[in-house]
Amino acid sequence: MNPKLINVLKRNAVGYLFLSPWLLGLIGLSALPILASLYFSFTRYDMLTAPDWIGLDNYREMLLNDQKWRNSLKVTLIYVLLGVPLQLVFALSIALMLNRGIRGLRIYRAIYYVPSLFGGSVAVALLWRQLFGGEGLVNLLLRQIGLPGHNWIASPDTALYTLIVLKIWQFGAPMVIFLAALKQVPTELYEASRIDGAGRWKQFWRITLPLITPIVFFNVVMQTIQAFQAFTPAYIVSRGTGGPLDSTLFYTLYLYQKGFTHFQMGYAASMAWVLLIVIAFVTAMLFLSARKWVYYQE
Amino acid sequence: MRTRLKAFAIILLSAVFVLGLAACGGGKSNGNGESAGGSGNTAQSGDSGSGETVEIRFTWWGDTARNDLYNAIVDRFEEEYPHIKVKREFGGWADYWDRLATQSAGGNAPDVVSMHQFYVADYAARGALLDLQTVIDSGELDVSLFPEAALDSGRVNGTLVMIPKGITMPGWVYHTATLDKLGIAYPDINWTYDDLIAISRQVVEKSGGTMWGTPDMGGGQLQPNFRYFVRQNGEDLYTEDGKLGFSRDTLVKWWSMWKQMRDEKLIPDAATSAEYDGVPLEQNLFVTGKVALYQIPANQIYLYEQQFPEGEIHMVRMPSLPGGQNGEYLEGAYLSITAQSKHPKEAALFINFFVNSERSLELFKVEQGSPANTDMAEFVKPLLAAPQARAVDFIQTVIPYATSAAYAPAGATEVEAAFKDNATAIAFGQKTVEQAADDFLAAANRILGQ
Repeated sequence: MNPKLINVLKRNAVGYLFLSPWLLGLIGLSALPILASLYFSFTRYDMLTAPDWIGLDNYREMLLNDQKWRNSLKVTLIYVLLGVPLQLVFALSIALMLNRGIRGLRIYRAIYYVPSLFGGSVAVALLWRQLFGGEGLVNLLLRQIGLPGHNWIASPDTALYTLIVLKIWQFGAPMVIFLAALKQVPTELYEASRIDGAGRWKQFWRITLPLITPIVFFNVVMQTIQAFQAFTPAYIVSRGTGGPLDSTLFYTLYLYQKGFTHFQMGYAASMAWVLLIVIAFVTAMLFLSARKWVYYQE
Repeated sequence: MRTRLKAFAIILLSAVFVLGLAACGGGKSNGNGESAGGSGNTAQSGDSGSGETVEIRFTWWGDTARNDLYNAIVDRFEEEYPHIKVKREFGGWADYWDRLATQSAGGNAPDVVSMHQFYVADYAARGALLDLQTVIDSGELDVSLFPEAALDSGRVNGTLVMIPKGITMPGWVYHTATLDKLGIAYPDINWTYDDLIAISRQVVEKSGGTMWGTPDMGGGQLQPNFRYFVRQNGEDLYTEDGKLGFSRDTLVKWWSMWKQMRDEKLIPDAATSAEYDGVPLEQNLFVTGKVALYQIPANQIYLYEQQFPEGEIHMVRMPSLPGGQNGEYLEGAYLSITAQSKHPKEAALFINFFVNSERSLELFKVEQGSPANTDMAEFVKPLLAAPQARAVDFIQTVIPYATSAAYAPAGATEVEAAFKDNATAIAFGQKTVEQAADDFLAAANRILGQ
């Protein structure tokens, strides 16, 4: 072998040795399973017998015939398109409120952050069932003020919106990031604009918002990707069914049902790859659009 | 010298890191799979040499009370066979099947698994279950006291793949105190669907609209309710060769009957039904006093009676169809040995102890149905509390009506999902009965045609 090459290898060997735990993890726990899933997506695989190569049949069936798949994609898109913007607007408003130099900021910040810590937890989803159920707290309050109750969780026209409200309620993580961004906005800009006669509203639109667009962008991307992959709330609130009438059948929930209830792991794998493509596409679009509206100070 | 020391230190360090990583990985899969941890041990304990301790795993579904009971039975087995250790895994009905599917796929299914008619074909057709004739021939498992019909209910395509823990039959129950209070006469054991509707009307009327007659049983699981109806019509859910076995006409009649009851407000509205779908026993519509009639398997009578401070739970047959056939078929909870098991002999000894020994049946009684072993059925009789004795009486009264039933083909869970979806769509007024029937048949034929 080329003595130079050996030298290079020798020099880097120690580095790779240090990297090895991470490398092994990447290959064994991520790369190989991902490749296996790609292979399974081209097979009929019931997990008990050997996979059976069927080419593009899974993808064809999904895109052309599967009504339930189409519906699950629709439900997920509604969840993302409504949930993410509303959650971020909410997070930003709270951050703006907290940023006005009130006393005990740390405590408020912690309190508002708590729901996010419980984020995907089973307990919160169970709580949601109670809150919005037929005999739940929400209906109790509505009846107190003389309005008729409604079975929010169990009606197909409202079930998804209770999950969107749950998403909005978990605004803590983006809020903390917004709060950090708001602190970075130079105060002299506000002083200067006040002298020029700008009100709070104008200050927000002309100074605050443009300066924090990189952070808005970051939050939009992260929350969008997360929302596409949401699973726990729908699984718990609908008891794994995605009901009533598939109105909360998130993409991931349908994927889970296909794989683990109906023994169609190959089909589930192909669904996962389509989801990956959808998320990649949406993220790419966001990055393209960012050129138009994200303002970096340099 | 110094560089060598350095190299050694580096290797040592990275070894530590790698080990740490492996531990992390293990911890993770434990967290997700709950019980996956035990898998490795079974393989390591090697062949079942004499004197050497062997570990097998046993899994079942059920509530807390059943878990305590089965743990006690397993403890007694371990006393009797000190060289066999039994690891236990359990969960609720729905989680149970999800987990078993995943474990089977991962090649670490437990040795002894609880099985059910509805799922057995899925596993048997894929070669996941041991042919139990092998362990009967080698003498570990004795089935000489099992009636042929009971054994037959554990055969799929002629192969014996599961042994009944208990045989049970479904029926409809009412709570005597509730009907007394409402002043409604108890239904006859041979009642009809018209009686079901008539009693429901009385319930709504006499309770002043605070109760419904029954929950909405038009959708949900395909069996037992809908299955009894199609069998009474001379059909069945599936044919022997795995196609849909009933006609559109029968399906339309069934859903129309429930739609009529819904329109008359004899059963809960769609949203209420959806809310109570899948809640635990303590919270269901019957136990909370919102409906007067309910369908359960007979072995659960005593569980329901515990929920009421006074009165008794009585059971009648599934409603019959005047001029129709009998819907009854044998049902129960079963035990199987997985094909992957490294210790089929020890697993068979365990099943043998579970279904044939007084030490086990003394605890089991009729937990998941009446024991199929005829001697044991006699043995448990004097041990039973009143509601359990009532269950056994019911089962014995009804079993003579039972005829054989074809097993569900692979894909049955998906057919059931389509059935449930379309029934719910009718309930929410999104489809007419005819539309829903057409949609269901199209979906089911597509699933089973594959």
